[in-house]
Amino acid sequence: MLTRTLVRLLALSLAMLGAHAAAAKPLKIGVTLHPYYSFVANIVKDRAEIIPLIDADANPHGYAPQPDDMIRITSMDVMVVNGIGHDSWAFEILDASGMKDKLKLIYANDGVSLIPIAGDPSGEKIVNPHTFISTTAAIQQVYLIARKLGELDPENATFFRDNGRKYALEIRKLRAEFDAQIAGVSLAKFRCATMHSGYDYILQELGLQVTAVIEPRHGVEPTARQLAETIDRIKAANVNVLFAEKYFASKLSDTIRDATGVKMYSISHISAGEYTPEKFVDEMRENLHTLATAIIESSKS
Amino acid sequence: MTEEVRPAGARLEGWALLAATLAVLVTLTLYVRANGREDTREVLYDWQVSAFDGLAGADQAIYNSLYTVKDEIPIIFDDINAFNPPGTKFRWPNLKDFEDVLLPPFYQDTSWEQNGSVTWSLHEPLAEGEMQGSTMYLGTDGKVEGQGSFLLIIGHVHAGFTNNNAIAIWWNAKNHVEMPQSGFKDQLILSGWREVVPYSGDLEVKRLFGDPSKESQESNDGSENVDQLLEGIIGDK
Repeated sequence: MLTRTLVRLLALSLAMLGAHAAAAKPLKIGVTLHPYYSFVANIVKDRAEIIPLIDADANPHGYAPQPDDMIRITSMDVMVVNGIGHDSWAFEILDASGMKDKLKLIYANDGVSLIPIAGDPSGEKIVNPHTFISTTAAIQQVYLIARKLGELDPENATFFRDNGRKYALEIRKLRAEFDAQIAGVSLAKFRCATMHSGYDYILQELGLQVTAVIEPRHGVEPTARQLAETIDRIKAANVNVLFAEKYFASKLSDTIRDATGVKMYSISHISAGEYTPEKFVDEMRENLHTLATAIIESSKS
Repeated sequence: MTEEVRPAGARLEGWALLAATLAVLVTLTLYVRANGREDTREVLYDWQVSAFDGLAGADQAIYNSLYTVKDEIPIIFDDINAFNPPGTKFRWPNLKDFEDVLLPPFYQDTSWEQNGSVTWSLHEPLAEGEMQGSTMYLGTDGKVEGQGSFLLIIGHVHAGFTNNNAIAIWWNAKNHVEMPQSGFKDQLILSGWREVVPYSGDLEVKRLFGDPSKESQESNDGSENVDQLLEGIIGDK
């Protein structure tokens, strides 16, 4: 009896030591999209490892899972996902790798108030998944990710939360920079259309309304009739600015520019190039600068 | 004179058609059950309004900003009261505090102007010593056509609220309203206020994937394996 008790105590001590060692080990955090890499990197700093699920140069629109993705996903402790339509391939990889019920997921948009795709002529209310091309919705995701990571790594929970707040302020300062650029400029003549629905969140946050969206669905080119109707709508509404995608250019935007005389500007989807902690802030700063330029130019027309 | 000649297999043909129809119906039902997507949007009461399809334009933008800052206001509260000398009354952040941290929809920048230059005010019952009301931020008199008014309410537990409904956002179709006397639901509803309900990402995830268990990987602290380990070391006596 005494032997059994002693052995049980010894085994319990060993198990607790093992558990402590496991807890102290830095988390391996997977991310599906570039903005989530930046969010997580600014939250965890050097206290966790970040593993992008797909290669940096892969296009997350219509991505076809690769064998390397299966290897990467099995090394993660947790993965941050968009979860509302922009990284559906991540769930295919989860299924194919047998990690579906094993890998913990952080759904970054759980706490985001979603908006419908703007400018849809059908009037149908379709959820817009581009919550990461934004400031306010991005901050909401930063807070949620910091909180969830803190639950998984309680020793660093306060560190994560404080970093999340600092990062949120850094994102907010982008808005202040934008504001300084357009100080004193009238927005009365600014009328915009967008190639796809990717910029709805940031435009709404800035109080800029979208008159028309060219692609009926993300990545789906309009039919000839839909295109003709959109061109008519752009002309009728005196739209003078068209925002197109920086990394995934389409000849369609040239067609619309030629047909309507709108001035075209490129906005980043923040979904290409190297994964870096600075990427989100750098590209959002550039996006806001582009928006400010478009507003200033439209005020002169 | 005409004579109706029925095909020899007419009876069988009818039964075969019926069986085929039933088979199609059963297959479709099973397919829809297996692959159909659940409508996860909440059924709203008359006194509620959806942020997703009930609000639009400036009001939707203001709501989404409020929805984010509702989590930040309690943190700012902690910040500004952290080093209070003993005996000092706690206070809730005011509009100046929000300006300092560039917090929309309160911070007065171009976006604030574009979204109607809404006038915000704070009602802080704790400062008045009432101890029975709610902290309320009222946004009203927006300049966008058709714009309504907003109320962010932080209910206090000692005022009869629970932690679950401590923070709520309400919308009133009227462009100008006065600060409500209290944050209690019944009185707000009678005054024309409607609680705004978001369509948040968790509902969309449920619609897309059913209701995935997000806690599928239980944390393993090692203790559950102790008995198995013991069995291996000393056997089962």
